Amino acid sequence: MTTTDEIDSTVFEEAVTSTDPKVLAKVWGFGGMTSVLLGAIAGLLVGFERLDLTSADLLGSADEVFQFWSAHRVALVLLGVLPALMTLATTVVPRQCGANTLIFPRAAALACWTWLVGAVLTIVGFLADGGLGTPGAGGQRQATALTLIGLLLAIAGLLTATVCVVTTIISGRSTGTGLRDLPFTSWTTLVSATIWGGMLPVLAANIVLTYVDLRGRSAVRFGAEDAIWEQLSWMFTHPAVYVLALPVLGIALDVLSATTGTTQANRDVLLVATAAFGFLSFGAYAQPFFDTPGTPVMEEALYVVMAFAIVPVALVILGGVADTLRRGASNLGTRPPAETVCALLSVMLIVAGTAVGALRVIAPLDLLGTSVTGAQFTLVVGGAVLGVGAGFQHWGDDLVGGPGARPGMNLLGGLALAGGVVLIGATDLISGLLGLSDFTGVDLATAGYPGSGVDGLNIVSIVGSLALVGGLVIWQASGILHLTAAKKASSV
Amino acid sequence: MSAAPAAPTRPRTLVVASAFGTGSVLLYFGGLFALYFSIRADAMAWGTTWFPEGAIQLVPGGMNMATMALSAITMGWAVSAVLNDDRVHAYLALALTAVLGVAMVNQTAFYFADIGLPIDASEAATLLFVIVGSHLVMVAVGIIWLGLLLLRALGGQDTSRHRDLVSAAALYWYAVVAVYSVIWIGIYIAK
Repeated sequence: MTTTDEIDSTVFEEAVTSTDPKVLAKVWGFGGMTSVLLGAIAGLLVGFERLDLTSADLLGSADEVFQFWSAHRVALVLLGVLPALMTLATTVVPRQCGANTLIFPRAAALACWTWLVGAVLTIVGFLADGGLGTPGAGGQRQATALTLIGLLLAIAGLLTATVCVVTTIISGRSTGTGLRDLPFTSWTTLVSATIWGGMLPVLAANIVLTYVDLRGRSAVRFGAEDAIWEQLSWMFTHPAVYVLALPVLGIALDVLSATTGTTQANRDVLLVATAAFGFLSFGAYAQPFFDTPGTPVMEEALYVVMAFAIVPVALVILGGVADTLRRGASNLGTRPPAETVCALLSVMLIVAGTAVGALRVIAPLDLLGTSVTGAQFTLVVGGAVLGVGAGFQHWGDDLVGGPGARPGMNLLGGLALAGGVVLIGATDLISGLLGLSDFTGVDLATAGYPGSGVDGLNIVSIVGSLALVGGLVIWQASGILHLTAAKKASSV
Repeated sequence: MSAAPAAPTRPRTLVVASAFGTGSVLLYFGGLFALYFSIRADAMAWGTTWFPEGAIQLVPGGMNMATMALSAITMGWAVSAVLNDDRVHAYLALALTAVLGVAMVNQTAFYFADIGLPIDASEAATLLFVIVGSHLVMVAVGIIWLGLLLLRALGGQDTSRHRDLVSAAALYWYAVVAVYSVIWIGIYIAK
């Protein structure tokens, strides 16, 4: 007689029905990094289109360029970095807290699959001529609605996972471990998760309002195709985008501390600084709906003060990182581990991003609508991707379940990625100072009548985009090879 | 011989999760309310009509508020009954709270079918339907949760030793009532 125990389940069945955080972490990790890669490819295509600012050459129209341009940001933030961070939040954080496993494992599994379905629907929506609206209202309304539903599902998944992580840290940590005793990855994840829990529902509210209006006979305001992005774009710019960077700062502090073999000095200062960094990244208020007559919300005192206040906070954290390196540099030897290099570069990129963010809000420079916004996004999100990669490399054997890491490939990919981010960020910054718009469209009026130097800068930016995509491909290949090696080792 | 010190206790997982989840739901409504009041203030400043005269009636909103306020009391009764291991009162209180929730949904559905205000009539109408509709979903989730609690109570699982799920549901239900009180004051009364 055959019993259910004797029936071999397929890999797919095991994955879908599993509540093991390690299995789910692979979905979060590979799904998130694949989205990051897709987002980088979308950015590369837009970069090629920017080589000629007067016409649509590669993509069909300004609306299509806009769809890829917005897909680049959505894929990197909601479908890429946040889920990739969830990989570490659902596996490494419980262990750091002394919890046996993640609390509510079934809810965590539901969250993971809900996010994945949402991510797929979002990508399909973008590819089916939908996305988050278009300036010329030339997209397909049904596909736009599909994109919005996909995003809602992705947010629902991320929020559910966030509840599981926060509950694990607060209620599941081992007896005698106070919040002050938490390792930095767990601490910054707790602070970030609190901010995610505050911002993602507001974004969901925006999306629901947009969806309801879009599905009506004719959009009243919120669902008008040329207005959708404007309502949701606050999630993909200062200050909301910093919340992606915060857990990465914690990861960097832990990775550097572990690889240099030193304990972090001034721990309490860093705990306060990272918490301040988190609360300065709450950006749900930065919506055009809250403009007061004559003063857009992005020119309000709160917005400007937050942009400047986060710079010294980031510098304090960089100081902590530098101090750890100074005291433990001798333990690194002549060839520092790949994760150390990636972690250090990620912190530096994030600090540079905060500086660019402060520059962007200086009113006389009038940079809010320029590609300086893109520069800040690239530096902060690029730094976040690099930091997540450092975390994957550091805890890779635990995540994948066996040996087989490729440090050489990881270092090469990380350096290519960092180089690409620097090139894109620097060229966007200079182009923005010369007057290039954040979204350039396919005519000079939309592009902002940029100065003559922009064409050359766009070529440099393309090189950066290619390096970024190349770095991500190397990392994906490294991850797959690691996974394959780990499976072989476990089967032997 | 002195007794061994009691092991330090951690906050209860279900209550912590419910508090965080409920907080997120409140932020969702906070976002919608902020949009509603901001756009309404702009409309008022420009002298634009927000809702057509007579479109929003005070009585249905007031009745719903009274229903919700009663349900908050019965929810407190349910928590108290579970704490005291009073199963009969727990059944009654949980069932009554759920019935009051259903009554609120019924009243709102009837009112919105009767209101004669299309969802795409204006920005105000769209916001009204989204806010009230979202709240109905919140109430419906609460009713389902209460139904599950009732089943657990019938199985003898909601006791003073296992009261977390009731406390978590009560926290959520109080948030349901709090959100409705903002709808009542901000939309039905202030119009």
